[in-house]
Amino acid sequence: MKTICPRCESTGVTQMHAGMENNQILWRVWHCKDCAYTWRDSEPAESIDPKVRPAWTKMKGVDFDSLRQVIPPAHKPT
Amino acid sequence: MATEKVVSLSAEAKAVAARVGSLRDFLAYLGEHDQCVSWPDPVMPEPDIRNISVAAGNNVSTGPAVIFDKIRGYPGKRIAVNVHGSFGNLALLLGLPKITPVRELFFEIIRRWGSDKPLLERVAPEKAPVNENRVDKNINLYDLLPLYRINANDGGFYIGKACVVSRDPLEPDNFGKQNVGIYRIQVMGPDTFTLLSIPAHDMGRQMLMAEQHGKPLKVSVMIGNHPAMPMFAATPVGYDESEFAYASQMMGAPLRLTTAVNGTDILADTEMVIEGELQLNQREVEGPFGEFPGSYSGVRKVPLFRVTSVSHRNNPIFENIYIGKGWTEHDTLIGLNTSAPIYSQLKKDFPEVAAVNALYQHGLTGIISVRNRFAGFAKSVAMRALGTPHGTMYLKNLILVDENVDPFDLNQVMWALSTRTRANDIIVIPNMPMVPIDPAAEVPGKGHRLIIDATSFMAPDNLGADPHLVDRPMGPEIDALMQRLNELQKGGV
Ligand SMILES: [Zn+2]
Repeated sequence: MKTICPRCESTGVTQMHAGMENNQILWRVWHCKDCAYTWRDSEPAESIDPKVRPAWTKMKGVDFDSLRQVIPPAHKPT
Repeated sequence: MATEKVVSLSAEAKAVAARVGSLRDFLAYLGEHDQCVSWPDPVMPEPDIRNISVAAGNNVSTGPAVIFDKIRGYPGKRIAVNVHGSFGNLALLLGLPKITPVRELFFEIIRRWGSDKPLLERVAPEKAPVNENRVDKNINLYDLLPLYRINANDGGFYIGKACVVSRDPLEPDNFGKQNVGIYRIQVMGPDTFTLLSIPAHDMGRQMLMAEQHGKPLKVSVMIGNHPAMPMFAATPVGYDESEFAYASQMMGAPLRLTTAVNGTDILADTEMVIEGELQLNQREVEGPFGEFPGSYSGVRKVPLFRVTSVSHRNNPIFENIYIGKGWTEHDTLIGLNTSAPIYSQLKKDFPEVAAVNALYQHGLTGIISVRNRFAGFAKSVAMRALGTPHGTMYLKNLILVDENVDPFDLNQVMWALSTRTRANDIIVIPNMPMVPIDPAAEVPGKGHRLIIDATSFMAPDNLGADPHLVDRPMGPEIDALMQRLNELQKGGV
């Protein structure tokens, strides 16, 4: 099954790192390029299972450009 | 104006200051006093580290620092938590017995404020332990640090206790305008991170300047520091005052500084330094993060940094913090340094103020003990407290108690609330400024303040049935007797 982001359900996710134990992969760290959520696939369901995560944490369909800027950029990024 | 005044320290305090030059020195010292333990079993990054950190921090008086060196999937890596998580640990840092009452720790910090002579030593970069290893290509923070999720609904893996050094982008050669502060850092990729600051804070101001003028903003993220650094880096000093100088003054011993590749000053004995540069006008989606009021901050767009190099000691220790619903290490780390300036500012105008306890959630609740000069006086003191720099935003609930009630002993404060408070004599001030992340705000940034005057009544108050109060024995004599009893319990004589 394809890995999706537990927060925004995007498929644009990348493996960042793998934790090794006895030369075997114990867990993988993933990062979502859309909502920037980062998770380890060994975490409890409350952090990584979209069916268990609290409703307020979901970001499916959110317009990321509309999020509040803590320090608004002075110029457009170059 | 520096007067080169050095506070005189006890022999014990001098001995601690002389031997503790780094995080690892302090962990060893804590260990000798049963205040640092190595977790013996293998742990998963989540939820084990979170749970053990919370358990260690639950014992506010003598909870230990905890070192993890068997982290599954991170062979050979080490994490330390709860280093400042108990008043016992803070007492040892100040050269006091670990069961020293919090009130005495408060007065020791107040006393050390008189010192204003910076004690800084320079170490050549090639001789600095932090430079034992350097990584400047194929940088992967996920490999260099045993990162983990602090709270279950955080947006990612946070570095929560790093001291970040930055130079003023317009005056990069000005040592005084170099800032050291603790800001939350979310790792965003192998060599990127966000750093959250607001325009009102020094770092936020520097970010604004850099982007307005198109100047580089270079930072050094120091992880695993001399224990004085995070404790005093969190204390607001003037924009042109150095936090390094301040931390060394408070310890009464030199801090060893060296120069990072990017020109900032860093602690020579720190465990790891991540050097990074602000990616001008670039933002990344950051948060939520379980913050000090015990609630999650929102998801926002926050300035992005790229890592230029990482330096670290051999076998480095990733020092991190548990923060969230209180009590947590965050409360112990900054509580006394939040209380001390409020006390000093009040004391100038009102010498009757005896002590200030603003330990709770960065001072969202504060307790002031004061001798009433005349009836109603405590309320005037409360109003003045709301006008102090920290009080303007943070002091939401204020409890005023008599000068002979120890504001750090909540059983005594509860006595005052139980027997001195008249429910028709409390004050609510509506629509005041409020910390935006206070979950009790009516709207973020605005809310109401509460003043409870739990001091004794005096004429022309209606004295009602006010009886003669019992003069409860207290002070150093009783503290000494408590210590003696403690030793007797441990089998001493
Ligand atoms: Zn996502």
